[in-house]
Amino acid sequence: MTGWLSATELVLFAQAFATTLAISVAGILLAVLLAMPLAVALRSRSALLRRSARFYTEFMRGAPLVILLFLLYYGGPSVGLLLPATTIGVVGLGFYGAAYFAEIFRAGLSAVPRGEVEAARLLRLSRAQCFLRIEVPQAARLCIAPATGQVIALVKESAVLSIITISELTKVAGEISNMSFAVVTPYLTAALLYWALVELVARLGLRAERILSATESRTHA
Amino acid sequence: MPDPVIRVRGLTKRFGTRTVLDRVDLDVAAGDVTCIIGPSGSGKSTLLRSIAFLEAYDEGDAIVFGRLMGWRETPLGRELAGERELAETRAPLGMVFQHFHLWPHLSVLDNVTLALRLVSKMGRRDADAAGLAMLEKVGLASHARHRPEQLSGGQKQRVAIARALAAKPKVMLFDEPTSALDPELVGEVLGVMKTLAAEGMTMLIVTHEMGFAAHAANRVVFMDGGRVVEEGPPRPLFAEPSSPRLAQFLQTWRERAL
Repeated sequence: MTGWLSATELVLFAQAFATTLAISVAGILLAVLLAMPLAVALRSRSALLRRSARFYTEFMRGAPLVILLFLLYYGGPSVGLLLPATTIGVVGLGFYGAAYFAEIFRAGLSAVPRGEVEAARLLRLSRAQCFLRIEVPQAARLCIAPATGQVIALVKESAVLSIITISELTKVAGEISNMSFAVVTPYLTAALLYWALVELVARLGLRAERILSATESRTHA
Repeated sequence: MPDPVIRVRGLTKRFGTRTVLDRVDLDVAAGDVTCIIGPSGSGKSTLLRSIAFLEAYDEGDAIVFGRLMGWRETPLGRELAGERELAETRAPLGMVFQHFHLWPHLSVLDNVTLALRLVSKMGRRDADAAGLAMLEKVGLASHARHRPEQLSGGQKQRVAIARALAAKPKVMLFDEPTSALDPELVGEVLGVMKTLAAEGMTMLIVTHEMGFAAHAANRVVFMDGGRVVEEGPPRPLFAEPSSPRLAQFLQTWRERAL
């Protein structure tokens, strides 16, 4: 085929797309799971917990993802940590993304008026009940838009995983470019595929937002 | 005289170096309707919030039905009461706030029934019946399925009263319940409060509504600078204040009322 992609290249791109999708999904799921206790710790009454969580988020947000990946990939073996590149990719993305999600969740929780919690506490709801029934539902709705943005950012940041030899979209685009001496076609293909992924995330985010506000307006929540 | 349901002795609260409550004493007997009046910053709201332990007071006692609120006495001094202990001591109290603090993600009915289901462990059906009865009492049963944001300020405050009443409190604390309302909506909230008072509910009300204090209260407490300056039945207190500070406060209020 002249100008566009050969069948082999199409297959390579399909595999790379699947890899990017899988690593992003796994990494982001890990990030969100880690971010929940982290957000709670950021608002803890215990100064030790609060400061530890604060240190973690500041450090992770302060360091470029590439550096974290290098540390794990090249530094890991020197402390006996020999992990496959994809695992490092998922873990790196997860621990890095957790800091950002934690800040989003913390801000969402803090936006719930204190008086609403006081009213609940005076009605003798426990701390846990207040958290789950009053704070989380309202924070979830506030968080969905910034969290969607963060998911998009992380999907695109997964391109960095190419430098630790993971055959995801960016790496494969580079390889095809090297083999075929074409530049525009492989990279443009990669860009379009990232865009498709991001568009998907954006639509899911909007749908989640609609569902959450619908839950809110239901007469019985 | 029977034991007061609320007994406050030497209550002191500081925010940093500022003393907002300065050795306050106050007794509330069963069936009392007590209005606390005074200028902004006089400590009225802090007193109410300290009784409910929304503020941890520094010294003195706030005793509710014989139990020290919020603190536990130990041989080494006071320590904060545990979550369960605090909840038990708070059980007789219901509270209504200036800014309502309804939960916006729940329907009006769910606002009233949430605590019934989670705390009193009532089933959905029983809780809904009890919740509707409370909404009926404040004239809002027809709004049960609405969301708080669809209500006027006066309606929101009536829902907040219903929510507090649903837990069957023995004393109701009102923290400036009408201060955030448009003037024409004040009446409907005061109306509900008067009904409650007529039913014999013990009420402690921080308010700027002098008319309400004069007519509905059987006792008025005037606070200034973190202290109780003067207290007594409303008629003599308003007619012949014995402290110059209250006289001045009432004078300012009368001038503004004209």
